[in-house]
Amino acid sequence: MKRNIRFIATLLKMKLSRMMVYRLSFFGGSLVDGSMFLLWLLMFQAIYSQVDSIGGWNKGQTIIFLGTFSLLNAINMTFYFFGVIGIPNKIRNGELDHYLTKPVNPLLRITFENMNPGSIPLIFLSIGIISYGASLLDITIHAATILLYVFFIVIMAILYYDMEIIVRTIPFFVISATSIERLEIAGLDLCMRVPGVLFRGVLKVLFYFVLPYGIMATVPTQILTYSISGDMIFISILVVFVFSVFTLWFWKLGLKHYKSASS
Amino acid sequence: MRKYLEVIKILFKTQITYRFDVAMTVLFTFTRILFAYVLWGAIFDQREVINGFTFPMMLSYYIFSSFLSQIEMSDGVSGEIAGRIQAGTFSKYMIIPLNTQGYFIAQTFGAMAFYFIFILPVTILWMAVLQLGFTITGSFSVILVTILMVLLGLLFMIQLNYFLGILAFKFQEISIFLMIKGNLVAFITGTLVPLHFLPQDLVSVLRFFPFYYVTYLPSMLLIGKNEEEAFTGLVVLSVWLAVFTLLNHFAYNKLRVIYDGVGI
Repeated sequence: MKRNIRFIATLLKMKLSRMMVYRLSFFGGSLVDGSMFLLWLLMFQAIYSQVDSIGGWNKGQTIIFLGTFSLLNAINMTFYFFGVIGIPNKIRNGELDHYLTKPVNPLLRITFENMNPGSIPLIFLSIGIISYGASLLDITIHAATILLYVFFIVIMAILYYDMEIIVRTIPFFVISATSIERLEIAGLDLCMRVPGVLFRGVLKVLFYFVLPYGIMATVPTQILTYSISGDMIFISILVVFVFSVFTLWFWKLGLKHYKSASS
Repeated sequence: MRKYLEVIKILFKTQITYRFDVAMTVLFTFTRILFAYVLWGAIFDQREVINGFTFPMMLSYYIFSSFLSQIEMSDGVSGEIAGRIQAGTFSKYMIIPLNTQGYFIAQTFGAMAFYFIFILPVTILWMAVLQLGFTITGSFSVILVTILMVLLGLLFMIQLNYFLGILAFKFQEISIFLMIKGNLVAFITGTLVPLHFLPQDLVSVLRFFPFYYVTYLPSMLLIGKNEEEAFTGLVVLSVWLAVFTLLNHFAYNKLRVIYDGVGI
């Protein structure tokens, strides 16, 4: 464990020195995603100027939901997104060989080799959005609730990571998984703007259990606003657990199918 | 003109190579409509009319705006110009015997025409699937004016993206700026939410800008609203087109001389 942490710290130092070469792009991710979430905030402000609630959720809850998805996205962008997105190319051109021959877990290195500190401001922006949403609610949020919220943010960030790895492990078995990646973008795009509580029937099953983007920000928001049932807490932990186990198993299966440069 | 028609034809044919991209783009028309269906379905659960919109009207608005924003493919112009200037391969466009801006307009219309053929039937299919009393204007003249406005709007967006693309002559790396522009344009063209829902003072200001007339007003006209703004829309768009034609001409002639053709 200690060795892995030292390794991650070294990767971060190397990445920082590379990023300083392109200073203008340093905060690029934060600016792009920050502008996107702020515009979505405006979109919901416009809708809530006409109605009091959407599917039972008031303005405060929806703003917390947006802030929570923004926070998950910021964690993703800061820590693992820029490493994980390179996996399909590494499989296709055989570059994964370099990772497999090193005395470090290849997935650990790929995950953290492209950390992006430029996205850290997005974390603070997200916390600002969440605080604003919370200030609109007529409730007192206790310290224990905040701790539970933070715990769920951590496990939902893991679920986000799981989904990204699953999608990018598929190229071990097929030539191109571009369509699946685009499906991922479409699913995320939809679930970032639509709180999971609005899904009904097949869509609920799809976005809660098959492509569980629908629970990622919804469940932490429900926790912070005291609108979640015990069953849902248990189910969401189970979903994260099942997807994490599946991700590790699927990655190992993919590695067995890896045919180096001829993949 | 024949040379530009040839470019349109070539680009139309080139899209066949990217069949999968076409299929995915067409498929993703669905996600925007699904977004509207789920979100606005929940909102209209409590009320029948919101800000002058009924649920079928709102869905129709999103179907039209989604269709228009999908065929508006000018984003690629700024990306391609900036990318080629950075890589030092923009020289390709400088030596062909065509006006550079004209070439990009023809190129984009060629691709648009191909996507139009596929996106139109899918949009009609969604209208049939949703079966929610789809709303469309019955006035033939409004439809004609809308088509003209859409064409002018598309032309304006190509010109805007051409202008942003050639800024790479001076600033080299503009990809972050282009992505932020994409987010902003999605909002101010009314693709995320009908502009009618924004504060009226803001909407009044937006009426002076061309983005109001690219997706939002044509979609509103097609659902039978805002007909009194149609003529103003054509005038405003024409003025902006004239401004950008001149701006692009001067900017290109001034900036191209600092291009070294080497790349970074």
